[in-house]
Amino acid sequence: MSVETHAHHEHPDVVGSRNRLGVILLLVADIAFALSMMFVYFYLRGQNVNDMWLPAATSDHPAITPLSASPGWTVTAIAAFGLLAHFYGLKGVRAGNQTQLKLGSLVAFVASAVALVYQFNTIATAPFTFNDGAYVSCFYMFAILNFVHLALTVFISLGNWNRSRLGLYVSDHWHVDIVRVWWVWMVVSSLLGAFALSYP
Amino acid sequence: MTTVMSKSVSAPGKSIIEKLNVFTAVALGAISAIVVWRLSLAFLPQDADSALIFSREDKITLLSMCAWFVGFMTGIGALVGPFRWLMGKDLSHEENMFLAGKDMGPKRYFRYTTDHKVVGIQYLFITILIFFLGGTLAMLIRTNLGTPEGGWLHAQAYNSIVGTHGILMIVGTIIMVTGPFGNFIMPIMIGARDMAFPRLNALSFWLIVAAAIPLLWGQFIGGITTGWSAYNPLASQAPLGMDGYIMYICIFAISTMVAGANITTTVVKMRAKGMTWNRTPIFIYGTVASVALALPAFPVFFLSQVLSAFDRALGTSFYNTKLGGSGWLYENLFWLMGHPEVYVILIPSLAALMEMAPVFTRRPLFSFNVAIMGIAGISGLSVLVWAHHMYISGWAPLLNAPFMLTTELISIPTGMLFLVLIGTLWRGRLWMTMPLMSIFALLWNFMIGGITGIYLSDVPADGFLHGSMYVTAHFHYTLMGAGLTGALASLVYWFPKMTGRMFDKTLSWISFWMVQIGFNVAFVGMFMVGLAGQPRRVESYAPTFNTANMVTTAGAYIIMIGMLVLLYGVISSARSGVKAPKNPWQAKTLEWTVDYPIPLENFDVLPTVTSDPYGYGKAQS
Repeated sequence: MSVETHAHHEHPDVVGSRNRLGVILLLVADIAFALSMMFVYFYLRGQNVNDMWLPAATSDHPAITPLSASPGWTVTAIAAFGLLAHFYGLKGVRAGNQTQLKLGSLVAFVASAVALVYQFNTIATAPFTFNDGAYVSCFYMFAILNFVHLALTVFISLGNWNRSRLGLYVSDHWHVDIVRVWWVWMVVSSLLGAFALSYP
Repeated sequence: MTTVMSKSVSAPGKSIIEKLNVFTAVALGAISAIVVWRLSLAFLPQDADSALIFSREDKITLLSMCAWFVGFMTGIGALVGPFRWLMGKDLSHEENMFLAGKDMGPKRYFRYTTDHKVVGIQYLFITILIFFLGGTLAMLIRTNLGTPEGGWLHAQAYNSIVGTHGILMIVGTIIMVTGPFGNFIMPIMIGARDMAFPRLNALSFWLIVAAAIPLLWGQFIGGITTGWSAYNPLASQAPLGMDGYIMYICIFAISTMVAGANITTTVVKMRAKGMTWNRTPIFIYGTVASVALALPAFPVFFLSQVLSAFDRALGTSFYNTKLGGSGWLYENLFWLMGHPEVYVILIPSLAALMEMAPVFTRRPLFSFNVAIMGIAGISGLSVLVWAHHMYISGWAPLLNAPFMLTTELISIPTGMLFLVLIGTLWRGRLWMTMPLMSIFALLWNFMIGGITGIYLSDVPADGFLHGSMYVTAHFHYTLMGAGLTGALASLVYWFPKMTGRMFDKTLSWISFWMVQIGFNVAFVGMFMVGLAGQPRRVESYAPTFNTANMVTTAGAYIIMIGMLVLLYGVISSARSGVKAPKNPWQAKTLEWTVDYPIPLENFDVLPTVTSDPYGYGKAQS
C-alpha cells in the first residue's frame, strides 16, 4: 500500500510528467484547430467560388494580388530564433547553469515580443479590406490567429524569464521543459500558416 | 491537492482569492460588458454603404460579450493562478487548501473551488438547470404543435425556441455524464486524490457558466433562428442573437478541450497502484473515449464559429459565396464535430450502464475486451462519417457511397456493446432496480434509434427522409432514449455516494416508467408524421398530420411529468432520504470503499488494486 497522502509530496518529475502530458493534450486540440485552418484555406482556394479567391479588377476596384509570403516566413524565423534561445536556456539549466537559463529565457521573451509586433504590423499595413475575397479572408485568419498565438507566447516566455530571474528553477526545471513544448508548437503552427500563404 | 510548491508566499490578511466568488464575477462581467458597449457605441465608426447587414452592431455585440467573458472569468478568480505564475509567486499550501474549499461549507459551491467533488456537484446542478430550461422550451414547441395551425407562438419566436432548445440540449447531454460523474466519481474510482489539474477542472465548469449569459443575452436581440446547427450563410443573415450562439459555442468548446485534457491525464497518470488497464473499470474507458474524442473535434466547431463571427462582424467571406466563400465549408466544419459529438454523448452513458450491469446481475461484465473494442471502434469510425449529413446538399456526390459504408460500419462496434450488455444480463440474478431497468430501456430505445439510423445512412432513403420529423425522432431515440436514460440511471446509482442518501425508490420507479412510456409515445408519433412527410422545424403543418402530432404532444407531457417527479426525487432524497450505507449496491469499484462525507483527498491511504472490478461470483474476488 502506498503511504503517500499528499500530492504536494510527489516527486517533481512525477508532477512534471503529468503536466507535460496535459499540455500535449491541450496542444492536440490546438493542432486540430490549426489543421482546420489549413483545410479552410486549401478548400476555398481549390473551390475558387465565383472566381473570388483573388477577385479580378472591376470598374471601381483594382484586382487583388496576393501578398508576398515573406512576412509570414519572417515571423516564423523570429519565432524559431526564440525557440533556439529557449533551447539554449534549457540546456543551461539542465547543466545547472542558471545564468545561461536567464539569458536564454530573456532572449526568447524578446524574440516573442518582436514577432508579436511584426505580426501586428503585417495586419495593420495589409493593403486589403476584409471583404476583398476569399484569399484575403484567409490571410486575415492566419494573421490574426497567429497574433493570438504570439500573444500567448509573450505571456509564457515573460513568465519563464521572470521565474528564471527569481531563481525558481534551481531545484527542478520541468516548467522550462513544458514551455519548450509550447515553443515548438508555436513555431510549427506559424510555419504552417507561412507555408499555406506561399501558395496563393 | 495536486500542486507543487516552489517558492510560496504566505497570504498576509485576506488574499485576493478569498474575496472572489460568483457575485464578484457577475458584477465584474456586467460592468466590463457595459463599459465596452458604451465605448464601442461612442468610438466604432459607422459602416460604409457596402457593409453587410448588422456589421457594426455585430462588432459592438461581440465585443461586449467578449468583455463579459473576460470580466466574469477575472471576477471568479480564473486568472489568479496564471498571473501568480507569471510573477513567480505560486499559490501557497494554505491558498490551495482554500481553493479546494476546505472547511468552507456551502460557500465553496459559489467559488472557483478546485475539489473535484465540488465541481461534480456544480456540474450536476448546471446539468439539471440546462435540462429544465431546454425541457421547458421543448414543451413550448410541443404545445404549439398541438394544433395544425400553430400560432400560439410567433413564428420568429418559435424558430428561436427550436434553435435554443437544440443547442441547450446538445450541451446538456454532452456534459450530463462526464460532468457530474466524470468529475465526482471518476477520480475516486481510479484511486486518485483529485484530478490531475484541479484549477483547470474549476475552469472547465466556470467557462460553462460564463457561456450561458451570451446565450441568454441572444434571446433578447433576435434569438437563434437558424436551428442548433446554425448553417451559414443563413446564420450570417440572422439577427444579432446569433452572436450569443457564437460566443456560447466558442466558450463551451474551450471548456470541453480543457476538461478533455484534464480527464485524460488524470486517468493515464493517476490510477491507483495495481490498476492495470485490464483492471480499469469500463466507465473510465467510456469517459476517456468521450473526452478524447471531443479533444480534436470541438476545435473544428470552434473555428467554424470564429469564422462565422468574422463574416458577421468584419465582413470576411468564408461562407459568403458572392465573395468567394462556401456554405459547404461551414457544413464540413460543423459536421466534422457534429457527428463525433453524438458519440461524445452516447459512449459515457453506455459505459455507465455497462458499469452497473455486473452490479445488478451479480455477474462479471461479459467480454470486457469486446466492450473496449466496441468503444474504440465507435470512436475511430465516428470521425469518418460526417458527410452523411450532407448527402442532399450536393457536396461531393462521389463520396456518398464511402460515407454510407463508414456510417453503416459503425453498426458493428455498436452491436458489440449491445452484445456485452445482453451477455451480462443473460442468466444473471437480476436485482430489479431503476438502473437495471434502464439497461433494458437503453437496449430497446437504442435499437430503434440505431435501426432507423441505418435508413438515414442510406443515400436513396435519406433523399426522402432528410429534413423530416423522422430525423428528429431518430436522433431523440439515440441521444435521449439511450444517452439520457444512461445518465438518469447514473444519477440514481451514484446518488448515495454524492449525497450520502439513497434516492427514493418509489419516485425513481414512477419517474422511470413515465419518462420511458412518454418517450416512446412521443417519438413513435414523430416517426409516423416524419414518414408521412412532415418537415421538421415548422411552426404549423397540414391537418393530415394532426393525430400523430397530438400523440407526440401527449407523450411529451407525460415525459415532463416524469422528469418533474425525478426532480422532486432529487431534492427530497438529498434533503431527507434514507441515509446510505457505504456500499449500498455491494459493488466492487473503489468509490464504494470510501465513507460519506468523502474526505478532501478521498483516501487516508492510497489504495492498491489487486483484482478486476467485476469479479462477482468468483472465488477470492
